[in-house]
Amino acid sequence: MASKACTPRLAPATPRSVLRALLLTLPIAVWSLLMLFHPGTPTDAKSRIAEAVTALFMTGLFFMMMRTGKTYRWRRCFFVALGFLFPVGFIYNMVLARGTMGIPIEEMIAGRTPFCFLAIPLLIVPAALTKTLVFPGSIAASRHAIATMVGLWLALTLVLGKGWCAYACFFGGIEEGMAAVPKRAKIRKIDPRWRLVPWAVLLAMVLLSLALFEPAYCMWLCPFKAVTEYVTARNAVGVVQNAIFIVLFAGLVIVLPLLTKKRTQCSFFCPFGAFQSIFNKISIFEVKIDRTRCKSCGVCQNACPNLSLSKESIAQGETLLSCMKCGACVDACPQDAAVWHIKGTEIAWKPERARLMFLYAAWAMAVMFGGSIIAQGLFTILHFLA
Amino acid sequence: MTLRAKLGYTAAALTMLAALLTPFRLMDSFAKGFAALGLHVDEMYSGGPKLRTVAMGPYSIAVHKPVFPHMLQSGNPFVQLDWSPASALPQHVSDVVDVDGDGRPDIRVDFDVPKDPKTPLRVNVEPLNRRYEAMQNEGKEGFSRLIVRVDNAVLVRVPLANR
Repeated sequence: MASKACTPRLAPATPRSVLRALLLTLPIAVWSLLMLFHPGTPTDAKSRIAEAVTALFMTGLFFMMMRTGKTYRWRRCFFVALGFLFPVGFIYNMVLARGTMGIPIEEMIAGRTPFCFLAIPLLIVPAALTKTLVFPGSIAASRHAIATMVGLWLALTLVLGKGWCAYACFFGGIEEGMAAVPKRAKIRKIDPRWRLVPWAVLLAMVLLSLALFEPAYCMWLCPFKAVTEYVTARNAVGVVQNAIFIVLFAGLVIVLPLLTKKRTQCSFFCPFGAFQSIFNKISIFEVKIDRTRCKSCGVCQNACPNLSLSKESIAQGETLLSCMKCGACVDACPQDAAVWHIKGTEIAWKPERARLMFLYAAWAMAVMFGGSIIAQGLFTILHFLA
Repeated sequence: MTLRAKLGYTAAALTMLAALLTPFRLMDSFAKGFAALGLHVDEMYSGGPKLRTVAMGPYSIAVHKPVFPHMLQSGNPFVQLDWSPASALPQHVSDVVDVDGDGRPDIRVDFDVPKDPKTPLRVNVEPLNRRYEAMQNEGKEGFSRLIVRVDNAVLVRVPLANR
């Protein structure tokens, strides 16, 4: 163990030179242009402006990651933009297509409900037992059809594991933005047992979806229905459903992140996040704690927005299964003990290499998926401004 | 460098490759693989497979297979009938339909077809066979008893009597 403390480290103690940072950013710049200006994207002036701004934004953030050696702050800029711009573009498209944010029963019957990845864990058991998908969409008819979204989710999960929740989820950014507002948390002591709630919600929703033969979480508990598409309130049940969506959104996505500076919906409620944690087992990239450097100061634990570090896990040099690889602990650690790591390699052996390999893969996914959503949101804003 | 470390770096490089391939090949391959699993959307939403079509002159009525709810699923058993094309329907439709195909009429269906496709529809169903439930001036209260316009068709879901 003592030899590990002397191992060379590539993490830049001082910022990289502009030229070196630019060279490291070049592949992402090319990728951004490729993803946002590929044939088939709209060519009108407003779309082009939105795409150019997005490409600059994504490339600029990656440049800052390379230049400063920090990850979390710059990733958060992207993620918050994604979280706030997704509803803008989505609601605009829904209102354009249907005239309302509500899902009319006709659209459900026609299989035109856009598929949301949050429903994926709810579909698995009914599909395995009866070959039936309990979602009012179509399997392969459109860009938002079930097969397309499942294909996208599988590919992103293969690359990111639980990193999905920090680089791809188009909902988490709203609460991350809210959590960034206060300077200090009003509620600091959080019972660690709350971490188990998402697993309980996942289990309950999977069983309920099987019993009721409907995506129970989407129908009853999803806080993000408040800012995307809600169930059309045809009767008292619909009113209750929408009231639940609004209360959960206000509580878990707005108020609690402001009070705790944590992603409370993700940490204490989201069943998809719990489900996605399982894929951290197969993901090659992870964050580790170098015990030879760690002074057990707890700074990383406080910095983690997702409660993915505990005293016990730090003592073992590990993050918890729910770690979403946002980089908050790595950036916060005063001892450089929290490090990016590739499974199979020695801990703290060239952690910057591990960080670079992860960030290239993760940012490529972020540009492809999140970048197009940000561009759509910007286009919508430009459309209204004009 | 140990073998484990070499394998780790190889897997990391392959992950980067997967990221590059995602928009070009990987995503589509996964999507096609998923579509090939032979899954289908729940019939409570889709209305079930079409069994046969009855020609009614300028339009036709498609009769679907009856749909039964699973376990605790809300709603009643129903059968879906599609009148299409909606553009060829008269202002008022009043058809007697042989739903089960035994040569005897099962239900009489009455509804108006407003010119504005956004006007809500209302339907009356008179059962001529005890297997079907009556519907009186019903709109779209639930998946198992409704009348809606979907694209160029008018869909009516008639609840089956519980017996």
